Amino acid sequence: MANKSYEILDHPSDVRIRVFGDTKEELFSNAMRGMNEVLKSVSLKKAVNQRVVVNSFDLNALLVDFLSEVLYLSQVNKEIYTDIKFNKFSDKELEGELIGNTIESFAEDIKAVTYHDLKIEKKDGLYEATILFDI
Amino acid sequence: MISKEAFKKINDYLWEYRKTGQMNVPARIYVSEKMLDEVFKDKSVEQSINTASLPGIVNYSLAMPDIHEGYGFPIGGVAAMDSEKGVISPGGVGYDINCGMKLLKSELSEKDILPYLDKLAAEIQKEVPSGLGKGRQIKLSIGNLDKILKHGAKKLVEQGYGEEDDIKNCESNGFIEQADPEAVSLHAKNRGRDQVGTLGSGNHFLEVQKVEQIFDEETAKKFGLIKNQVLIMIHTGSRGLGHQIATDYIQVMMRAMPKYDIFLPDRELACAPFKSKEGQRYFAAMSAGANYAWANRQMIAHYIRKAWNEVLGQNVSKLTAIYDVAHNIAKLEKHKVNGEEKELVVHRKGATRAFVGQPVLIPGSMGTASYVLVGIESGKDSWYSTCHGAGRTMSRHAAIRALSGQEIINQLKAKGILVKCYSMRGIAEEAPQAYKDIDEVVEVVHRAGLSKKVARLVPLAVIKGE
Repeated sequence: MANKSYEILDHPSDVRIRVFGDTKEELFSNAMRGMNEVLKSVSLKKAVNQRVVVNSFDLNALLVDFLSEVLYLSQVNKEIYTDIKFNKFSDKELEGELIGNTIESFAEDIKAVTYHDLKIEKKDGLYEATILFDI
Repeated sequence: MISKEAFKKINDYLWEYRKTGQMNVPARIYVSEKMLDEVFKDKSVEQSINTASLPGIVNYSLAMPDIHEGYGFPIGGVAAMDSEKGVISPGGVGYDINCGMKLLKSELSEKDILPYLDKLAAEIQKEVPSGLGKGRQIKLSIGNLDKILKHGAKKLVEQGYGEEDDIKNCESNGFIEQADPEAVSLHAKNRGRDQVGTLGSGNHFLEVQKVEQIFDEETAKKFGLIKNQVLIMIHTGSRGLGHQIATDYIQVMMRAMPKYDIFLPDRELACAPFKSKEGQRYFAAMSAGANYAWANRQMIAHYIRKAWNEVLGQNVSKLTAIYDVAHNIAKLEKHKVNGEEKELVVHRKGATRAFVGQPVLIPGSMGTASYVLVGIESGKDSWYSTCHGAGRTMSRHAAIRALSGQEIINQLKAKGILVKCYSMRGIAEEAPQAYKDIDEVVEVVHRAGLSKKVARLVPLAVIKGE
């Protein structure tokens, strides 16, 4: 396990997070958790499951498209997902089961997941990515 | 690294970076010399230069005085593309399609409203939810949503949520006719179904304001503005629906670019030829998103009027629209290029259209001044575009660390400004100290001839959603 799963960084107008993972799957799960940290609200209620399927043309796009899809599901269903079980995972597609809770309201409105300065790197065997959210 | 020395001074408020490398045209920035030092603190200059590399860009990649770092394009960026040979780029519009301003005027003066101010602000807050929580509790059917996407604010006025003047005093009369609901994904529609008439978060706000100072008596009279008059300002956009359209089409265009041999320095600049299938489809979807935003501001105006009458009675003076204008949009417009009229796709991202004689609405940050300007002939070099606001200089975290929500409420209270917001964090994030000085930005706009100052407005009450 990576020491830290994600950290929230400073940005003049939006929110930037740095995410870590031993594997690409873990990197993606932690990115989702980092996004939730920004969105989250205190009142968690009923447990829920959602299926997520994403196809993209490369790994960077897959990460943005995955987070965009999770954001969509969160906002439309008023839910926050704390975990994901991947059934399929490659550089261009993924399929998984999201596990989370319904919520009463969000603390922050994320407009979108952006490609701004997005880079997925492998440093000393650890995957790392920086992601910027437009809020 | 690009430095200030690389810029040529055209005049006191205009600087040019010559065409080099991949650029198709030079980049021009409207700032004072003092502000030019500031713009190098982030990536906005680099983004302005990158924008100059978009195919079919005409004359210059332009940046307004409130320029700061965005995605792909800088915020405050203006770029006109030849509609035949050029591209359209979702990054040149931004994620919040048709984020913009609506300004309503009353016949009441400050002294008339002060005894009712607290009640009015509370009632407006109750009537206009942020949409982050329980929202409006009205979920539109896809069929009804499609009508709003197609006909914008016009549709709502027809349904009784406003009056003819609301449409007359609105950019494009509240709708773009090329809008096609079919080009909008189901994801986007689902995000928008329960958000018509919601404010959102971030820098979006409602303000009860007064006219503090008039600079141009004649134009002020034409717009119906007098000193101490009470106004209401609305700042919001197309909410989740617009954000999703942008997300969807950045993906579509990134996939399509190799097909059109377009290779760009930044993924967020993703684009497609305007006349291509992808370009036309984005334009139709973006226009639908813009229509949704005009409808959103119209619906908010309706609920503000309801609150106004609830608190002040049915016989009180009406709230009428001065104007409604977008600051994140791409429009098909005719402009003179080398003496010849041409059809251009004008991208304004964090920039406001300022046609000759048109009211221009520029919000300040929370608790600071806002301005009404008017479009003038000398704005032609910027395709009749001007700034859109103050522009952030401090991160949300830094703002929260610097001052607490309560400290800011106290500071504003000392200035006679009432704040209504459920979230202390929301207040702290939007601290006036986190933004550039709006007076300085507008002064440069005025002196550069981008548009002319008409009136300075100051807030009496600030309302920030539920």
